[in-house]
Amino acid sequence: MKSDENGKESRRIEVLLVEDSPGDVRLTQEAFREANGAIQLNVTTDGIEAMAFLRKQGDHADAPRPDIILLDLNLPKMDGREVLAQIKNDDNLKTIPTVILTTSDAEADIIKSYQLKANCYLSKPVQLAAFETLVKSINDFWLTKVHLPPHG
Amino acid sequence: MLPEENALMPVRAPSLVAEAINDLSVREDAKKNLAQMEGKYRGLLEAAPDAMVVVNEDGEIVLLNLQAEKQFGYRRDELLGQKVTNIIPEGFAERLIADDLRSAEDALTQQIGAGIELTALRKDGSEFPIELMLSPLESAEGILVTAAIRNISVRRKADEHLAQMEGRYRGLLEAAPDAMVVVNKGGEIVLLNVQAEKQFGYRRDELLGQKVTNIIPVGFAERLIADDLRSAEDALAQQIGTGIELTALRKDGSEFPIELMLSPLESAEGTLVTAAIRDISVRRKADEHLAQMEGRYRGLLEAAPDAMVVVNQAGEIVLLNVQAEKQFEYSRDELIGQKVKNIIPEGFAERLVADGLRSAEEALAQQIGTGIELHGRRKNGSEFPIELMLSPLESVEGTLVTAAIRDITTRKRAESHLLQKVEELNRSNEELQQFANIASHDLQEPLRMVASYTQLLSRRYKGKLDSDADEFIAFAVDGASRMQRLIHDLLAYSRVGTKGKDLLDTSSEDALQLALLNLRGAIEDSGALVSHDPLPMVRADEMQLTQLFQNLVGNAIKYQKPGIPKVHVSAIIDDEKKWNFSVRDNGLGIDPQYFEKIFGMFQRLHKREEFAGTGIGLAICKKIVERHGGKISVESLPGEGATFRFTLAGIERKS
Repeated sequence: MKSDENGKESRRIEVLLVEDSPGDVRLTQEAFREANGAIQLNVTTDGIEAMAFLRKQGDHADAPRPDIILLDLNLPKMDGREVLAQIKNDDNLKTIPTVILTTSDAEADIIKSYQLKANCYLSKPVQLAAFETLVKSINDFWLTKVHLPPHG
Repeated sequence: MLPEENALMPVRAPSLVAEAINDLSVREDAKKNLAQMEGKYRGLLEAAPDAMVVVNEDGEIVLLNLQAEKQFGYRRDELLGQKVTNIIPEGFAERLIADDLRSAEDALTQQIGAGIELTALRKDGSEFPIELMLSPLESAEGILVTAAIRNISVRRKADEHLAQMEGRYRGLLEAAPDAMVVVNKGGEIVLLNVQAEKQFGYRRDELLGQKVTNIIPVGFAERLIADDLRSAEDALAQQIGTGIELTALRKDGSEFPIELMLSPLESAEGTLVTAAIRDISVRRKADEHLAQMEGRYRGLLEAAPDAMVVVNQAGEIVLLNVQAEKQFEYSRDELIGQKVKNIIPEGFAERLVADGLRSAEEALAQQIGTGIELHGRRKNGSEFPIELMLSPLESVEGTLVTAAIRDITTRKRAESHLLQKVEELNRSNEELQQFANIASHDLQEPLRMVASYTQLLSRRYKGKLDSDADEFIAFAVDGASRMQRLIHDLLAYSRVGTKGKDLLDTSSEDALQLALLNLRGAIEDSGALVSHDPLPMVRADEMQLTQLFQNLVGNAIKYQKPGIPKVHVSAIIDDEKKWNFSVRDNGLGIDPQYFEKIFGMFQRLHKREEFAGTGIGLAICKKIVERHGGKISVESLPGEGATFRFTLAGIERKS
């Protein structure tokens, strides 16, 4: 499902942000709020919780299926690479576009992420303005231009 | 007239004798005289140990004794009046006769007292060797000749045996390398070889039969003699096979040292003693020389700070110093004559040995003067590292090898300590690199928060709070931004080492173009004119070369006075096939006192209000150039621009 170009089906867009830094969570929230009011940003702060959310387990039984996942690599308990591997090995989850959004620009991390079938890899810019631009382009591309697979 | 005594003087009247012989009456008288004489001399004749016959000038036997009867197997009356040629066919009668050259007296005179060896004939026709001793006897009948006849067949046999023995042993004797003499129990030399002649300077016949004490005055003959405690055999037996060192005497009276080896030789004459006589003057001299050498080198050896051993080509230690005793914990006498392998188990003796490829001299020559690291072994078996320096030492014993042995335990320890320190340093350097990398990266996280939220604060609340708040927020935003640049540059600096790529053939012109592309904004803003000569291919990490150009050109544009910035990049090749790049500008220039300083970390020449910057840019440049094996420097006069120069290796010619 996608939001229509003309906004007819203005269904809420569900985004799962997996990020342990509250500052980054808030910044991302602020940035998305400016970019697109229709976005529902769901947040989990470690890898275990992220998988529980995706599999609707425990407290997350009523969790929505996200349209897109924004995944940090460095996470407590289960790190982003492991989360990515589990998502892409799960027949039910692997169709959800997973965007790596991290501070690392290490070549090894980039290669590893694509090997694990990340849909794209983005480095968090240092400057606020640049970060806001990045979030806007995620919205413009992944949540506007791209045809996402149907739910279920 | 009869002589009262048995005078040896010849009688003076041969003519008288001749007349008398021709006169029969005289003959009768002679018979009477003879009977008288016989009566007088009989006792004397019979007392003689030898056969005795008295012969007249006609060669007729006129008197004889019992021994003569026995020896020739005749009765007295069968011989009396007979020609002496019947019993001594040749060589006797003839000697009594005058010839053209001499009178009968002279003829006889010549024979007196001399032992003449002849052959005698018995009645039964058998022959036997005799020795004849003649003496004259004056009588009324004229001069008679008394002949003492000794049967020498026994002596002859002994001589023959000896000759036989000599024949038998001659080969052996002459084959011996040493002088050999064979001595009988009388201490007389009975056999000898050519070496003995040479050694003692005598001819063979001068030594045969002589006392051995003539050539070995003391210590030889005595040893062959029995005393109260032992028989002659025992006396000899004790000496057999042992080397006895004595002094020998040459014919010319000179002495020389000998070593004697005795062995018994059974013969018909009884036990003989064979003595092998070795001239040991050379050995003695060598010993003396060694002692002398030791005396001469002792001082040198002991003065040496290292342990020193002198080794012969058999690998035996012939000399050593106190340090060697201490180092190996042996006493001197425990080491002298021992194999050097005992103290240096491997790598020394082998080096002295010739192989198929080289002579012993060459083998040694290869080692001279080079320090060889080996292991020494102490008496207690413990080993320690040594360094060996070899040098040759010519001596009468041949080439000896002097080995200076240095205990390098301390040096080795220092070396391994140094190695350990280098390792530690490398590790800490690496850790520092990693630390810088991680720290700057991890520092970015919280800094991003500070920067982002102060910026957010500034954006949303500027003008909504009071003017103090606006100013405080502005300082916070500025501080965070500077800190971000600092961390960014620090990261770039640390990555020159950690993220460097291999040096490849790279177009420096392409690298400059990339740098100019990155600087596009700054160039456009400043209106700078950047030009360059054709630039060469170099060995470089393209990304770093780009960064180098970017920093240098960026600086050239940045540190400007009012006007149009002009920057020119060129390169010329030098004698060492290195490319000398220069980046020349028309900017502010640099005071010469800062030429060195500006390449250091965090070094800034300007106030922050004038020019932003972290003071890391040129440090990065220096690090990049040095990583490429080049050098960077600057030339400038304040107000007249600056020229930064750096060198890079050209690409290798592919022909």
